[in-house]
Order: sequence, then structure tokens, then C-alpha cells
Amino acid sequence: MSATLSHRGPARDAVVANALSRRRQRVNFLVEALCLLATFVGLAFLALILATLLYLGFSGLSASVFTTITKPPGSHGGLLNAIIGSLIQTALGTAIGTPIGLLVGTYLSEYARGSLLGEAVRFVSDVLLSAPSILIGLFVYTVMVSPFGGFSGWAGAVALAVIVIPIVVRTTEDMLRLIPVALREAAVALGAPKWKSIVFICYRAALDGIATGVLLAIARIAGETAPLLFTSLGNLNWSLSLTQPMSSLPVTIYQYAGSAFDDWVQLAWVGALLITFGVLALNVLARIVLRPRT
Amino acid sequence: MRLSKSLLVAALASAFALPAAAQQITGAGATFPAPVYAKWGEAAKAAIGIELNYQAIGSGGGQNQIFNRTVDFGASDAPVDADKLVANKLLQFPAVMGAVVPIINLPGIGADQVKLTGDLIAQIYLGKVTKWNDPKIVALNAGVTLPNLAIAPVYRADGSGTTFVFTSYLSVANADWKSGIGAGSSVKWAAGNGAKGNDGVAATVRQVKGGIGYVENAYATQNKLTTTQLRNKAGNFVKPTLAAFSEAAASGDWKGAKNYAVDLIDTAGASSWPIVSATFILLPTDPKDPARSANVMKFFDWAYKNGADIAKGLEYIALPTAVQDAVRASWKSDIKG
Repeated sequence: MSATLSHRGPARDAVVANALSRRRQRVNFLVEALCLLATFVGLAFLALILATLLYLGFSGLSASVFTTITKPPGSHGGLLNAIIGSLIQTALGTAIGTPIGLLVGTYLSEYARGSLLGEAVRFVSDVLLSAPSILIGLFVYTVMVSPFGGFSGWAGAVALAVIVIPIVVRTTEDMLRLIPVALREAAVALGAPKWKSIVFICYRAALDGIATGVLLAIARIAGETAPLLFTSLGNLNWSLSLTQPMSSLPVTIYQYAGSAFDDWVQLAWVGALLITFGVLALNVLARIVLRPRT
Repeated sequence: MRLSKSLLVAALASAFALPAAAQQITGAGATFPAPVYAKWGEAAKAAIGIELNYQAIGSGGGQNQIFNRTVDFGASDAPVDADKLVANKLLQFPAVMGAVVPIINLPGIGADQVKLTGDLIAQIYLGKVTKWNDPKIVALNAGVTLPNLAIAPVYRADGSGTTFVFTSYLSVANADWKSGIGAGSSVKWAAGNGAKGNDGVAATVRQVKGGIGYVENAYATQNKLTTTQLRNKAGNFVKPTLAAFSEAAASGDWKGAKNYAVDLIDTAGASSWPIVSATFILLPTDPKDPARSANVMKFFDWAYKNGADIAKGLEYIALPTAVQDAVRASWKSDIKG
């Protein structure tokens, strides 16, 4: 059936060689076409999502979105409290989660190589990395909201921090592992204690990668709805108190997008646009930070 | 740069211009009255300085949150059982009344053209009547050309106060429904497909030709969905109008209702809309922060006195004055200050 080369080689069997070559070209063409098709399908969905978002989001964008708080349907509300609430909770979540993640990542890379405890911590961290975020919300509800008797901005920030931790653990460990052993040995040879070699040599060399991990973690939590539903609940009014329920963009989008009122649905699109651009900006920033310095 | 700076200044200015001394109360629960609570909250903030943060997480969620005391008050469309109220130390009182309406999708047929009965809707949701040109439907609708189209019933897949009200009505209207399926926030449906939330039901009915569903009235009005007429207890076909809802609300037996759990399903009035329900507030009788509970009562006291027009504008019905006074008396006697 198939054309195969005889033992004499291509030069002496030109007909067979040509047939084989043509067959390979056909297969190559076919596979390439399929790859292109798959790429276009993927890109088309992305383009459609972005186009819908831009079209519907920009048509509702105005200064009042940033200057007025959420209001009942028909009262020309904005998203000010949701935007500020999201910023506060994201910042706090990052501030709580990053140091913990950084220390755990350092432990895994520098102190726990090959140890059983290290393996266990890494495994748990990886499980946490892929845990559904609604479970994290439920967890924080059980340990914070229920016992303390109320939804609060703090609970929302802690839920987000729990999402930040495994992301930072993973990137920190990976980045520290990339640093050549020779660099550490050089530090030790010069008489530096271990903590100095970690803080002044390894962290410095891995700074770009670690910073990227933190930025990606921020981008991830900025758009999370599920962990906030049971923790910071949402707030229709202007409130900066961390002990009270706090508004956030994703929860507001969740509520408004499914509502019966056109102006609320419109605001949901504007909110989605704001989050998308925020996350996009963070990703671009991460790329710039990670760019190798010349 | 200059633009973003001026935006920031504007944002900060408006942030600090808001009254800082306003007292916050937090409530969570039923989605059904959420629009009217939001409007009341806006007006009450200006009038009496109480800021209501009401989160529409669903009736079941509202009950659980007040059981756990994570909010100042819970809200539920379905009344809570008397023994559960005692066990969780809660006072239940009604806030406002509203209606549930059937919605349909038939090509060429407009709002309130089709006439249905509760018995027939129950048979549709039981899977016994499956075509729009079924003789039983045609017999009710002389002059309307019904297509030879399969009926696609749509129900709420999530636990819902609206489902409780709707299935309560079907239980009254059809004996098979009562014995086989009954009334509840989520029931074992015999036919049809589930959709999440009022918006999900509306979207599914809108997409599927021959679809039928049920939503809160405010939802049908806002989205201009095709509603139907229904036959009430007096035997008259009525359209879903505020007047028909009000008549049903007025004929409720409040005196005989324990914990205000009044039954407004299929009331006797000549032009009553048959699917009307009160929606309830759950307030702890042993508040851990009496000042906040006092503010909740102050808020609803204000809403009873001044919120009727706002409710009417959204096609909800305010409580009769006698019931309002009874609730005020309950607050005094049952809530520890």
C-alpha cells in the first residue's frame, strides 16, 4: 500500500521517493490547515468576547460610573463603591497572602529539598492551587463569618489571600530553583550565612520572576466572585469599614448581569470592561517586568 | 493624566460628600422583593439616615444567614415554620406583597391573549398536556389560533421563593399535583427543563418556541414578557394588573394567620389575581446588637408609612394599615430592646 524506499536509497529509486515526498507534503498540508483552523476558532471566540465587551461596555461608560455609588434601578447609579471595595480587598488579600507564599516558597526551594515534609507541603499547595474558589469562600465563611457573626471586608480579603498563597508559593519556588547552585556556593565560599545568601543573592536574582508571580496572583483575585459571595457579601452603600460588608466589582457584576433592569445590565458590562482592562494592564506589566534586561 | 487626576478628585469629593454618620443595617434573602427594598433604602437614607444594605441571595440563603446571625435581618418569600421560628428565636413579619405570573412564547400571540387555568398549568407541568392545540387549551381560548406546537415547561432549577408561591398555587388548583408533587421552594418536577433564577427562566422561555414559565411580576413587566390571563376562584379570567393583585391582597385573612403567614393564593375576590404572596422579614427576638435591630424596625416602620407609592410604582402592594399596626405591636412585645 504505502510507498516505501527500497534499500538502494532515494537516488536510485526516484519514482518511489517522489511518491513518498508527495504523500508527506499532503499530510503536512492537511495538518497545517487543521492547526490554522483550530487557531482561528480559538482566536475568533476571544475576538468575539472582546468585541462584545468593548461594544457593550464602552456604550455605558461615563464619568458618573466612577463618581457615584451603586443605586436602585432607574436612579442613575455608578460603580464607585464597587471599584474602591475591589481595590481595598485585592490590595489587602495580596498584602496578607504574598509574605506567607514567599516564605513557604523559600522553604520549599532552600530548606526542604528532598524532605518528606517538603513534598507534603508542595502537594498540599498544589491541591490548593486547583481548589475551586467557591470552596475557599465557604471555608472562610465557616471560620470567620459564622463565628464572628457578620460578613466583612476582612473576610473577603482573607478569602482572596488564601487564593494568592499557592500561586506565590509555586512561582517563588520555581524561580528560586532556577538559580544556579554555583551562585549559592560562591556566597557560602565568601563566608555568607545561609539567610544572607537567600536574601541578598537568590531573591535578587529571582526578583523578576517572583514579582511576576505576585502580579499574576493579583490579576487572578481581581476577577474572583465566588470567594467574595460568602465573605464580604456586597454593599449597596458607601462603606470603607472592613468590619462591615463590602462591595466589589465581580459580585456587583454577578448581581447586575442577571437582573431585570436595563441600566443595571449596562453597568454590569461596564464593570466587566473595567476588570478586563485592569487584568490586561497587570498582565502587560508582568510581561514588562519579566523582560530580560539588556 | 490631567483627566485621571480630575476623575480621582471628583471620586474623592463625592465620597466624602456622602453622610458619614448614617447608620448601616444589613439584610439578605429573597430576590422577589429586592427592587422595592432597594428603592425604599434609597429613599430612607435621605429621610431618616438609615442605610440599608440588602443583598438578594435567595429566600433559602436569607433564612440560613439569619439562623447563623450573620446579618441583621433575613428575608424570605416562603414563611418559616412556627417551630423553626421558635427554635431560632425569630420574629416573622410581612414587608410587602407581590404577584407571580405565567409567561409563554407562542409565535404571533401577544400579552394576555391566552387564557389558562391553574388546573391546566398543573397538567402541563405534570406532562399530561403536551401540545398548545390540546382540546383543553383550545376550549378556553375561542378566537385565538393556537399552533400545533409542543409545550416546553421551564422551572426554576435553584431553590426559590417564587417556586414556592407557584407550586402552592398548583397544589390548590390540581389534586394530582398536591398529592404527587406538592408545594416547596424546590420540588421534584415531572416535566420540563430547569433554569437558574428569574432571568434564566425568562431567557429560556424567550428562546424556546412553545415555552411556558413563571416569574415574579416585576420581571415580566420590565422585560415585556408575554403573560397570560388566569381564571380565579370566582371563575373570572383576569389579566395580571396591579388592580387584580391589590384585590387579592385585600381579601387575605390576616387575623387567622399565625406568624403573619397569610395565604393569598387563589383568594375569593371577583377580579383577584390568583397567584399573590406576601414576602417576609425575619428578625431575631434576642438581638446581639439591639441598636441595629432597632434601626431595622425603624426602617420598616418608615417603609410602611411612606413606601406605598414606591411599591406601587414597581407593581408591589403595600400592607393594609391594620396589619402594619399589628406588626408594630409585635415589635414592641417580642423584640428585646
